[in-house]
Parts: sequence; structure tokens; C-alpha cells
Amino acid sequence: MSQTLSSLFVSFCLIGIGAYGGGLVTVPLIQHEITENHDWLSQPEMGRIVAIAQMTPGPIAINAATFVGYRVAGIGGAVVATTAVVLPSITILFVLSHIVGRVRSSESLARFRTGMHTGVLSLLLFAVWSYGRGVIAAAPELGIAVAAFLALVAFDRRIHPLIVIVAAGLVGLLVF
Amino acid sequence: MCTGAQRISLANLFWTFFRIGLMTFGGGVAMAAVMRYELVLKRQWLSEDDFLSAMSTATAVPGVIAVNLAFLQGQRFGGLPGAGAAVLGTICPSFFVILLIVGFALPYFDHPTVAAFLKGCAVAVSGQIAFATYTFARRVRRNWRTGLACAVGLTVVLSGLHPIWAVVTAAGLSYFLQEPNGSVGINDSEQSQGSGLRSQGQVTSAKQEGDA
Repeated sequence: MSQTLSSLFVSFCLIGIGAYGGGLVTVPLIQHEITENHDWLSQPEMGRIVAIAQMTPGPIAINAATFVGYRVAGIGGAVVATTAVVLPSITILFVLSHIVGRVRSSESLARFRTGMHTGVLSLLLFAVWSYGRGVIAAAPELGIAVAAFLALVAFDRRIHPLIVIVAAGLVGLLVF
Repeated sequence: MCTGAQRISLANLFWTFFRIGLMTFGGGVAMAAVMRYELVLKRQWLSEDDFLSAMSTATAVPGVIAVNLAFLQGQRFGGLPGAGAAVLGTICPSFFVILLIVGFALPYFDHPTVAAFLKGCAVAVSGQIAFATYTFARRVRRNWRTGLACAVGLTVVLSGLHPIWAVVTAAGLSYFLQEPNGSVGINDSEQSQGSGLRSQGQVTSAKQEGDA
């Protein structure tokens, strides 16, 4: 049990460190840790967790950490995973806020940010492939996924993304 | 710690960030918009400039952006205890909502109707990830350097290594490939926001005294 808790802690610390940019960037990391590294949850359940994390208040990474932690090791697991996912960034910020006066250089910061953005872009491209491969099994799924993408592009900033997700759920009621 | 910023009670900090956490769906940039509304427009604890500066710091370090922002603002208004109160306030709504869902709704997830609905949602999320990638790619300066770095990162993760190595490799490669004059960066507005933590606490107090 305590071994499960410590592996939960390590996994979600890694997720917290890798989640540069927040939001959906965490999905491939969570997926890797949960379904491949540890075999804690199945891919369909992972898909459900991400969908539910999208539909409930709060950051996706926090929602997913609480959800996975609870599924793997109960309340204790939920507390450990949620703490672990925020701990790295808070520690970095705490240290940074004391030394930032000396390391602050807008040129190297701009380079660092461009570098990180490129890194995150490669992670996102991977996420499209790995997450898509997990949930898209046949033509109906592919159709819904493509339609959701096109709807999001077409109505960018005009409708809440959640509307597209819920609409896809309603389509799912008819199709699956 | 932050001279010039007003002190705000821990309970007030907790409650403010609890409200922000409860009212935000999807996190990240969505939460930043709610936070701006609550802190800059409604409560006027911060100036627009201070908020942008905190935003640039919060996104420059890894982790959940909303939590990073809460930490910075909490620390500003109440030192380390304030940071703790703000972070807890941000996390608590999602934590308890998820526990409620897992506790009461989980048995129904296998009901065919609910399962079909959730499957539709989960499939649409793949479209949403593609959309996030698309909008993100538009913001990154695209040239052969970032393209190469990105391709190498993708190769790393596809070869079976941990996804973190993709970020590290691509980020490192892109960092060192950039032209030294610093002209290679994020397009448009983001480039001018690199002022970091330091400028916090200098503009706000003056503005707020003007209001009072």
C-alpha cells in the first residue's frame, strides 16, 4: 500500500514537472504514467477521466490527479497524487522568487520560453497521436473527433469548448 | 516579503481563490481569465500590468498555471502562509468535486447510456487536443530550427522514452539553436512580457492609492 502511495507520488511529481503550459499538455504525461508505466487504469477509463476532468471545475491536472489517486489508493491516494502534482512547480516558484533578481535576463528568458514552447509542441503532437490512437477505434469515433476539431476551429472564441464536448457526448448516445 | 502590496487575510485569500477554482472549467488560460476578472477588475487588488507580469512568470515555470498564479498572488498578499491559503483555495473545489463524482457517480459509469455519453465526450477530447496543438503551433515561431527541434522531440517520445525527455530534448535543442540576438521568440505580444517576478509590487500600490 505504502509502495503504491510512493509510486503515485513519484508519478505525479513527474507529471507536475512535465506539464509545461498546463491544461491538455498534462494528458500525454498522465496517460504514459497511468496506462503504460504502471498499468493502473485501462485506456477507456483514462479517456473517461480526461472527459470528466474537462467537465468539472478546476485545472485538468488537479482533477485527473485526484481521480487517479482515488481510483488507485482511495482518499489517501487522492491526497498524495494531488499534492505531488503541484509540489514541483510551487517549489520552483518559491526558490525562483528569491533569486529571480539575479537570473532575470529578458533575452535568455525569451530563449528559454521559445525552447520550452517547442518542447511542448512536440509533446502535444505526440498527445494527438497517442491519445487519439487510444480512443479512436473505428470510423464513427474518427468522425466525431474530426467534427469536434473542425467545430472548435470554426467557433474559436465564440463558444465554450465544453459545448463541443457535451454535444459529442450526445452524439455518442446515438452512435455507441 | 513584498513591500508595497496590501495585506489580505488568509481567510479572504482562501475564499477568493476557492471561488476562482469553483468557477473555472478547463484550467489554464480559462482560469487566468476568471482570475483577472476577480483580482484586477472586481477586487482591484492588482493592476493589469502586475497581473500580466505574474502570468508570464506563472507560465515560465512548469506545472498547473492556475496554481502557479495562486501561489504568486498569495505570496504577494500574505507571504508564505498566504501562498499556502491561495493554493489550497484553488485546489479544494476540484479535489472535492472529483471525490463527490467518484464517490457517488462512479457506479453509474458502466450504465450503457452514461458510458455512451462519456465515450462520445472522450473521443471529442482527441479533437480538442488536436485543436490545442493547432493553436499552440500558430503561436510558436516556425522556422527550420524549431521545426527540427520539434521533430527530434517527437522522435524521442515515439521511440518509447518517457515524454519528459521529448520536452527536455526539444527545448534544449531549440534553446541552443536560436540566433543569439534574441529575435527568435514567440510571435507578437508574448515577447514583451518577460519582465518576470521583479516588477510585481511596484505599480499596483500607486494605482490603488489613487483609487482610494
